[in-house]
Amino acid sequence: MRSSYAMNFLMGIYILVFFTYLFGPLIIMSFTAFNSAEFPAITPWECFSFRWFNEGKIAYDGQHLAGLLTDWRLHDGLISSLIIGAGVVCLSVPIGMAAAIVLTQVKSQLRDIYYSISIMPVLFPGVIIGISTVVLWDRIAGLGGGGFISDVGRNGIFLTILAQTCFISTYCFLIFVARLQRFDQTQEEAALDLGASQTQVFFKILIPYLAPAIASAAVIAFLASFENYNTTVFSILSDQTLTTVIASKVRLGISPALSALALTIIALTVIAAVTYEILRRRQERKYLESQEEFVKEKAASSRVNKDYKAGFKVPKGIVALILLVIIGSYVATQIVKNDLYGNSCIEAADTLKKSKFLDQLQTLESNQLSDEDLQGGSLGGNQDYGDIFGDPTLFQDFGGFD
Amino acid sequence: MKSLFFTQPFFQKNGKSVALFFLVAIVFWFIFLVIIPQLYMLDLSFRANIPPLERGGPKDFYTLEHYRHFIFGSKTSADAYNFVDLGVFGRTILVSIFVTIANLAFCYPIAFYIAKIATPSTARLLIVSLIIPFWINELLRSFALRILFANEGVINNVLTGIGILDQGILFITYDVGLYTGLIYAYILLMMFPLYNAIESLDINQIEAAKDLGSSTFRTHWRVVIPHAKPGIVSGCTMVFMLTVGALATPVVLSSPNTLWFPQLIYQWFNLNDNWSRGSAYSIILLIVSVVFVLTMMRIFKVRIGEIIR
Amino acid sequence: MSAGVELKDVSVTFGSFFAAKNVNVKIEGGEFFSFLGPSGCGKTTLLRAISGFQDPSKGQVLIDNKDMLGIGPNKRPTSLIFQNLALFPLMTVAENIAFSLEVRGVSKSERMKRAGELLELIALEGQGDKKVHQLSGGQKQRVAIARALAVEPKVLLLDEPLSALDLKLRQRMRTELREIQKRVNITFIYITHDQGEALTMSDRIAVMNEGELEQIGPCDEVYNNPLTPFVATFVGENNPLFGNIIDVNNGEAKIETSDGNFISSIDKSTKLNVGDEAISFVRPESLFIIKNDNKFQNKFRAKIENIEFEGNVKNFYASLNSGSKIKFSVANAIDTSEIEINSQIELGFDINKSIILPKGALATE
Repeated sequence: MRSSYAMNFLMGIYILVFFTYLFGPLIIMSFTAFNSAEFPAITPWECFSFRWFNEGKIAYDGQHLAGLLTDWRLHDGLISSLIIGAGVVCLSVPIGMAAAIVLTQVKSQLRDIYYSISIMPVLFPGVIIGISTVVLWDRIAGLGGGGFISDVGRNGIFLTILAQTCFISTYCFLIFVARLQRFDQTQEEAALDLGASQTQVFFKILIPYLAPAIASAAVIAFLASFENYNTTVFSILSDQTLTTVIASKVRLGISPALSALALTIIALTVIAAVTYEILRRRQERKYLESQEEFVKEKAASSRVNKDYKAGFKVPKGIVALILLVIIGSYVATQIVKNDLYGNSCIEAADTLKKSKFLDQLQTLESNQLSDEDLQGGSLGGNQDYGDIFGDPTLFQDFGGFD
Repeated sequence: MKSLFFTQPFFQKNGKSVALFFLVAIVFWFIFLVIIPQLYMLDLSFRANIPPLERGGPKDFYTLEHYRHFIFGSKTSADAYNFVDLGVFGRTILVSIFVTIANLAFCYPIAFYIAKIATPSTARLLIVSLIIPFWINELLRSFALRILFANEGVINNVLTGIGILDQGILFITYDVGLYTGLIYAYILLMMFPLYNAIESLDINQIEAAKDLGSSTFRTHWRVVIPHAKPGIVSGCTMVFMLTVGALATPVVLSSPNTLWFPQLIYQWFNLNDNWSRGSAYSIILLIVSVVFVLTMMRIFKVRIGEIIR
Repeated sequence: MSAGVELKDVSVTFGSFFAAKNVNVKIEGGEFFSFLGPSGCGKTTLLRAISGFQDPSKGQVLIDNKDMLGIGPNKRPTSLIFQNLALFPLMTVAENIAFSLEVRGVSKSERMKRAGELLELIALEGQGDKKVHQLSGGQKQRVAIARALAVEPKVLLLDEPLSALDLKLRQRMRTELREIQKRVNITFIYITHDQGEALTMSDRIAVMNEGELEQIGPCDEVYNNPLTPFVATFVGENNPLFGNIIDVNNGEAKIETSDGNFISSIDKSTKLNVGDEAISFVRPESLFIIKNDNKFQNKFRAKIENIEFEGNVKNFYASLNSGSKIKFSVANAIDTSEIEINSQIELGFDINKSIILPKGALATE
């Protein structure tokens, strides 16, 4: 008896730790998005600000750290990602659908082989798919002389669409296979029997049935394409997608703008998911209502005729939500009270840093310093002006890519 | 396209235009997007590294040079073997194995809890909570970890601020950040196969075992784990393969002294512009992946359809 | 408009398995024709061969005297009602019914008008906008029929359409189907394993077993003059009396069994010689309790084992001296209260109410 309580307790602790590990970094990162300091940090907390979402800053030392709204590279990357995503959807959804339908028509002995081949792309490491696409098309472009083929063969967006389609088609394939498994074959036969041609059967019976699968395949394909890195980084050549921009930013210099970006993406995803859930619940409710109406018609006796109240179930999470609002407002008031917010704070912090920096510059010029002093002794060292120059590992990435 | 491959004549069953569309789509995918690029890359890996203009000329010949280089290193070095590249390769594989096992160990209790112990509403909540972090790009997740682990990162700031330490721990340099990030990255891919496999186990079996006097450990070892075997194999295979081929997380979290094998490929490809060698190394990576998957399938007698989600 | 269907020596094989073997049938236009047999006897295969989903491995399928080889199901003048109805769940009732017109390019207003007419025919006016899942079992049946009739096929094929319905509904649908058939004057080809259904609805029936046709004929003929032991025991109930022939003479034969010698009629196509093993079949309703009358040429003694009250009849299960079991039924109107379990009684039957057939396989339960 007691041991099971102890087990449950331990399990509870473990789950708590696990989820802290899962969410902790993300929550911390979200907070750093609002700290005006140049290196994402919680302590020291400089000022609460939205700058990383907006204009970024030009540091007193000349570095330009862009904020989300002003970062043109991010915007370019975003547009490329959208184009590629659209292209991938247009290719891989039809391919996946074709492959899934043909699977149902192949002889049972061949079915295993066919299925294995369709699954194969997912087993290849993403980098391999990217590389192979690039080398192949580079050769094709080379053979094609100058001109359209050669341009296309070296176009990063074109290559990325092809490379991603390779394995994203498999995702779509799996989605369609699942949906097809529950398809009633006799419907096809009934349609034929009633005079439909094969093509009509396809468009009037099969496609409407597959419509939900087409939608989910499109969404999955787009999301998979949007967030892909391993393959894209090789196939994108001289262009950039949002993910490669993020990667290069992370390599070149860590800035809270990335935290801001991550938080934005998290917020958008959560909103999208919640919206989807609400819409889905609403559709389910409509379906249930129509069923109820049918039952009501059948059971004309008034005993069964209860009114269906369109209720809105209050989730238990409302308590947590209220708690969050209370805490949030407290923190907000504290911030405003202690003047940690707003331009005045930022200016103050900047002037402080600038003065420190100038002091150090003067000290450097005026003094002869020994080696140990230079290596992070008491003279300013790494702490004050952010990690941009301080982190010894930062600029030394693999092979010095810049 | 008759009864050789299909249960019914292909063009007849689908109508001419639709059948044509199917054919084109599938051939395009299999042949053009999947097989030919790999074959070409394989071919390229055996060629010398020459500028494009000289292709087809006298300098274009087949060679095992790149593979040789992988094992033995460049001709000018004094070492007997290419310790750098082999070291990276070996470390990548060993660490991937370690990461896979750690991942399995971490996820198993949670999967078991959600599948068997939690109430349905709790289970649903936990599952949703598991999925949420993974909507965020792997790069950004790793970035979050980097914020934590950097020399001036949150963890070090807190520790030095409180006074426990004088100086920050070099998480990144000692690869702690990398390993943590790798374990973190693919939790979902281990969790869901495990969850599905355990969920299908009849809880009466567990209770029967307990009733017969089996300890918790033995119950798991003899009852739960054998049943969950397909899920375990599936999870481990996916995690290992993705870890071995990972690029995003190492880019963000590895220190410059410790490379991950795909980073090596990236180097040869983009920095040294040696596409042939990059291809050769890619082939090596591919072979590792395929061999691993096939071995797992053979050892644990799991079919390929069960491995994919 | 209706058409006749002819199957000329049709065989359908899957590998070495004969789903249908040398089937020869000629169905007249406007007939209500049933294929009757246990599951796996090949009746569904024949239906699919007629409708075009299965090519015969041998032989010909002719509709309206035209060979249907190479003509797909969408081009044949047939409509098939599937066992699971196969209504289109994503379409409304009206759209389902009008589907065959839609694929022929009929305009929407035309289609909906015709759908309305058919909805009236099946007594579902105004329900056209409902979705399929909102209908009851019987309603779905009728929609399936309306859908099949929309293009006025010459032959309607029905694959055990009533098997999923409960008893009362089934009985009502039997009558309805018959009425619809008479109204639209289309050839109905019906397959079922329920002999009561086949007998009540059909003009003629064909009894099938293991891919082969055992007998074709009008219902009363098949019932009263079965040509094989299988038909004798599958269509209706029959008591078999096993024995050997000791005399054959002019439409009658005498059989020697361990319970006595009996004389029964034989069909003119039956070939029996003295000494052959044979079975005499007599229906439960043709066995009568002998009460001081000597009317019957065939008599035997039996002991009552069990009595079953079925409502309109009373069923008695008895065993003969040899141990064979028989069943006889008496209408409830006749008083049989003196008979109890273990009573010894004497039963008799007429020559022309029993039939002798060469020994063969009986229909298993």
